Amino acid sequence: MFDLINNLALGFSVAFSAQNLFFCLVGALVGTLVGVLPGVGTVATIAMLLPITFGLPPVGALIMLAGIYYGAQYGGSTTSILVNIPGEATSVVTTLDGFQMAKQGRAGKALAMAAIGSFIAGCFATILVAALGAPLTSVALLFGPTEYFSLMVLGLIFAVVLAKGSVVKALAMIAFGLLLAVVGSDLETGAGRMTFDLPELADGIGFANVAMGVFGFAEIIRNLEGSSEDRQLVQGKITGLMPTWEDLKSCFGAIARGTGIGSLLGILPGGGAVIASFAAYTFEKKMSKDPSQFGRGAIQGVAAPESANNAAAQTSFIPLLTLGIPPNAVMALMVGAMTIHGIVPGPQVMTKQPDLFWGMIASMWLGNLMLVVINLPLVGIWVQLLRVPYRLMYPSILVFCCIGIYSINNSPWDVVMAGVFGLVGYWLIKHDFEPAPMLLGFVLGPLMEENLRRAMLISRGSAAVFFTRPISAVLLAISALLLIVAVLPMIRKRREEVFVEES
Amino acid sequence: MGTIGVGNREMSDRIEEPQGARGRIRNAQDFWGGVVLIGLALIAFYASWDLPGMRGFSFGPGTTPRLFAGLLMLLGVVIAAIGLTTDGPAMPRFAIRGPLLVTSAILLFALMIRPLGLVVSSFLMFMFAASGSSETRWIETTFAAIALTAFCTILFVYMLGLPFQLWPRFTIGGTTIAF
Repeated sequence: MFDLINNLALGFSVAFSAQNLFFCLVGALVGTLVGVLPGVGTVATIAMLLPITFGLPPVGALIMLAGIYYGAQYGGSTTSILVNIPGEATSVVTTLDGFQMAKQGRAGKALAMAAIGSFIAGCFATILVAALGAPLTSVALLFGPTEYFSLMVLGLIFAVVLAKGSVVKALAMIAFGLLLAVVGSDLETGAGRMTFDLPELADGIGFANVAMGVFGFAEIIRNLEGSSEDRQLVQGKITGLMPTWEDLKSCFGAIARGTGIGSLLGILPGGGAVIASFAAYTFEKKMSKDPSQFGRGAIQGVAAPESANNAAAQTSFIPLLTLGIPPNAVMALMVGAMTIHGIVPGPQVMTKQPDLFWGMIASMWLGNLMLVVINLPLVGIWVQLLRVPYRLMYPSILVFCCIGIYSINNSPWDVVMAGVFGLVGYWLIKHDFEPAPMLLGFVLGPLMEENLRRAMLISRGSAAVFFTRPISAVLLAISALLLIVAVLPMIRKRREEVFVEES
Repeated sequence: MGTIGVGNREMSDRIEEPQGARGRIRNAQDFWGGVVLIGLALIAFYASWDLPGMRGFSFGPGTTPRLFAGLLMLLGVVIAAIGLTTDGPAMPRFAIRGPLLVTSAILLFALMIRPLGLVVSSFLMFMFAASGSSETRWIETTFAAIALTAFCTILFVYMLGLPFQLWPRFTIGGTTIAF
């Protein structure tokens, strides 16, 4: 116990130096900017900024990179809430209730709650990382490809259950997303799959293209349908920038549960944070006294996933720092940064370079604090942005998004593809399909395939392995249970849920 | 350009089908949704037809596409079946103005960005996109376009340092004219 306090004290003394504070601030600012901007992704930014960090001392460089990472997570939620465009895969769920809240004039509350929830989750998760780093990694080691596959199946079922509408349609959207994810080159053989011999598709379809098109462009197309009274954007009816005590109290459970789910799932390398956000939302919806509010602007629907994805972002450092396994592409870049600075992540980091390890832990907390400090005052500015008349807003969004997408690969084809997905998104809206499950299927598709392949290889073609291994069996059982519970009401009576868009 | 049908939302999505019409699809929205999904699955099957499948217990490149396509097909069939057997909303009305405007604006940008550079493309795209709205006031729009273009340029190029060609660049014969 005393060890822990001593270590944390060491870490904070490192992190609170003026220089490191400055780096953290810069990182958080840049990260928020990157997260808010469409297309310009975290990976690209960190890759661009990596050379800048060469000249900085190692701790400072890593602190800045961590700040960028968290900033981007939060910035992604900002666009989800304000304009229904998810900046990151982990912010997709935030669009569901966050955007509804913005339409009702409660954007400030949504933004503030996202920041607060993230901060609380970050605090708790940081302590978890500090105290339980080593034991938690042993949990991660229990997960082999079979367990990962089953976990992802469970994650997809979560996405189905959280859907407002028909379960079958949500399943179909997941299948559609999975299919889209497969487009590109096969990992093992390099064969082109479903690319129709188009070189532009050889690398597959990017997340930004799909997200921007299906969420952003489709929304614009839909808003241009009718006359101005029809428009779903509420302008001029902004009620209160900050959440009230009532709001905070009602979200307490959501934040707590979200933090728990996120902390657990973040430890698993790969896909943990995305699944965490979907799982937290679904869990919250199930536990809520008034589940019909979810999808219509329930503030818990913002608090839970935001807490979850921030907790997952923190705990994803555990496999990185203790095992040296990066959980996602961004962390992989951090490993690269560490290596460049002469630090080899792994079990010895804790003992051989304690000031680095604990400095990073402390800086995580600091980064979260910095984000709250930066973003809460900014909420007012964001909310003012929503008052821009739509006739100026939608061309701005269009131009902005196109530039952002173009900046990924300097390829006009990317822009066209996003436009195509805009049409696809419009079709989905018209036929009452939901885009969120599709996006989850799209994000998890490659991972699922990889794990399925590996599991089948290891088990020598026996599909029974998914049911014989205990953890996997439990996960699949929960999935089946959830699915049945979701479908049951539909079988009994037709679920006539009033869809939000038509209210 | 106007939208097909009435702008009023309540009327447009609920077309009354004639009573007693033979072969009436009870839930057109779901039925056609399912049909399109089946079509997509078939396209996927066709595209991955010649990819090798499983070899022993090792997945080939064609296994997963066919697997997922099969899943989509199954679900598409279920949805279409629901469309035939239950009552639901009729065929949704697709507006023309929205999709056409947005798509052509995006295409315009994609065509312009390489030859004309960032500044000109952004400005022109903004003006074009704004022209589709009936509420546009031209002077205001022009100012907004200039402001946004300036903002984007400062943000993306100077602050973030992303490589963008700002101004038009023409190649005539062997000579390149760049601004």
